[in-house]
Amino acid sequence: MRFRAEIRNVSTLTKFTASLASIGHIAWVRLDDKDVRFTVIPEQGTQVWSVISPNTIFQDWTIQSAAPNNTINLEVPLAPLQRALRSAQNAVAANIRLTKKDNIPLLSLTITTMAMHSSQQPTSSLSDRDNHFSGNGRAPSTNGANDTSSAFREASVDFFGPKADREIVITQDIPIRVLAPATVEGLHEPRCREPDVHIVLPNLNQLKGISERYTKLGMTTSNPRTPRNNSGIAKGAKLELSANMHGCLRLSLKTDAMGISSLWTGLENPELDSTQLAEGEDGLANHPSTRMKELGDASGQGEEGWATVRIEGRDWGRVLSVGRLGGRVIACFCDEHALILYVFLPEEDEREGGGGESVLTYYINSYSV
Amino acid sequence: MAAIVPMFSAVASSTRHILLLLRCISFAKKALVRISAEGLRFSTDEGSSIEAFVFLDKALFTSYTYHAPEPASSQDDPPEPPFFEIDLQSLLETLNIFSLSDLTSSTRSGGYDDFAAHRLNRHAGMNAFTNHAMGVTGVCNFSYNGEGGALSIHMFESGVTTTCDLTTYEADTVEDIPFNRDSLSVKTIMRAKFLLEAVTELNSVNPASMTVFASPGSASKPNLSLSAIGALGTAAIDFTTATSSETPVLESLYCPTETSASYPFAALKAAQRAMASATKVSLRLDDEGVLSLQFLIELEVGSSDGSGAVAFVDFRIVPLVDDEGAREHGGESTSE
Repeated sequence: MRFRAEIRNVSTLTKFTASLASIGHIAWVRLDDKDVRFTVIPEQGTQVWSVISPNTIFQDWTIQSAAPNNTINLEVPLAPLQRALRSAQNAVAANIRLTKKDNIPLLSLTITTMAMHSSQQPTSSLSDRDNHFSGNGRAPSTNGANDTSSAFREASVDFFGPKADREIVITQDIPIRVLAPATVEGLHEPRCREPDVHIVLPNLNQLKGISERYTKLGMTTSNPRTPRNNSGIAKGAKLELSANMHGCLRLSLKTDAMGISSLWTGLENPELDSTQLAEGEDGLANHPSTRMKELGDASGQGEEGWATVRIEGRDWGRVLSVGRLGGRVIACFCDEHALILYVFLPEEDEREGGGGESVLTYYINSYSV
Repeated sequence: MAAIVPMFSAVASSTRHILLLLRCISFAKKALVRISAEGLRFSTDEGSSIEAFVFLDKALFTSYTYHAPEPASSQDDPPEPPFFEIDLQSLLETLNIFSLSDLTSSTRSGGYDDFAAHRLNRHAGMNAFTNHAMGVTGVCNFSYNGEGGALSIHMFESGVTTTCDLTTYEADTVEDIPFNRDSLSVKTIMRAKFLLEAVTELNSVNPASMTVFASPGSASKPNLSLSAIGALGTAAIDFTTATSSETPVLESLYCPTETSASYPFAALKAAQRAMASATKVSLRLDDEGVLSLQFLIELEVGSSDGSGAVAFVDFRIVPLVDDEGAREHGGESTSE
């Protein structure tokens, strides 16, 4: 099997990898003709399933395998991938390929960077040196001096070592495992009933900041309600997140010492596309969210019309770190059951954008009361 | 039934001052709150050995309303102004949410910051001013409905409305640590940072207690000495008024006779945040050896108000009764 690609946007890939690494240590990466999928399923907590249009992160890529659609399944450790990408931060070029060294399968990242800034004009320090060597007391602004000084500059370059335009090539190897089709056959995206409420989340950074304060509040007090695991260690504050079909989102926390809640209003509830639903138009009429629209209102006061989930504070904070990628986030609430976030990555390059949208899907379970 | 008018309600356009002042006394989890027509008094204590309080004058709020509770009947005395206990950490975190745009609020709370906190708090002024200058309005409303009710905080900022109801607990009337201000054995005023530096320095020997020694001053004895003995060594910082400097460290000193007393070092550490936030501190010992530290904190209240507002944070610390550390002035022999 072969896979080789040039990385188009190191910064996006870096942020994307960082978001995945917040969720778990290992990603299942599935590459085929059409798209690139990264899935992280940690032992506990939120899962993320993402589909990236290859053009978002790669260009000039080739893929080939014996499997249908040239599918390749890999297990990639995320921390080494993050470290490798850090070397590529200021790269001129970076490409990645599947390879083997000493019989160990690897993803090999080849990074080309420039050592220092290249400049067309001789720097003043160089010309000072030139004057010293050539012995002429004239300033290097005259043509005569320039000819001499440029000849000397070349000489000094050889003498002192390369000063301008020096390429450095770095190779970072990430050990991976190739997964057999049998291994991945059993992995399925979690299925959930049709959500009761879907809403576009407000600025994720703001939501993350406030959620973190709530998580801290839930842990500060010697809160007998703080859930404890079997060993009696506090597991983390459970935040209550609710939304309605009138643009309201509410985050709440209740401890013995206080009850607090924050309310956002004026958010967008996206329209469902009836063509995407199983039963088409009828499906739309009977959809839970259509029924939820009849309850509650845009002020967010009153107890009707809310779909609620209870989420663990720190887990939620890790999910929200995906805000670093920008993009629209639609949250789908299955009342008392689960929360699904769809993060649509912003399309950077319009001309290449045709054909694929990149989406990260987070599946978050709700804790019962 | 009485009309539902909250007993107390106040509006603050910035919680920065309140946060700053409350953080100074935040060494304890719970705080006692007393509401009056003049303002709010918050106090904290640790056992009966250290007590701190701060008074938030109503002038710090944009609006302040207090309706004294009515007596049950015309024969009764008017009931006491309300006082109750709240979870102080929860209050601070809640106010933190409001100042989320304020970078300073994201620093670790609960730890004892020293210079870092001081510097950060100083810069807090610029952020708040930027907000005001840009016309960004946030509003923070406090209200309390009466006995048993919650202390409610209602905040609106950047499109989010946050409501917090703090449970109010019944408080036992705690006797304040008595301080005999009419019978002082030492009084001195100095810039707070010098006290902070001294305490920080003493902390490096990991001491259990700190001894304050004061004298009228002579060739052999300093005017004021703060010392400590710890597992890692001993340290002492001596201050003197004998200086030709225009800005002496001890801006004033009253000390008729030699005196000294010792205090648990943890109590001094509890006051570090106040030392870092304050401009000046008045250090006094009374005739029983009780230490009073009164910190003057400058608040930049609005650019239109020419005079800066100030607030005071007071600490009272009971001396250790220890025949090794203390020689109490006043002729009272330590019983042993």
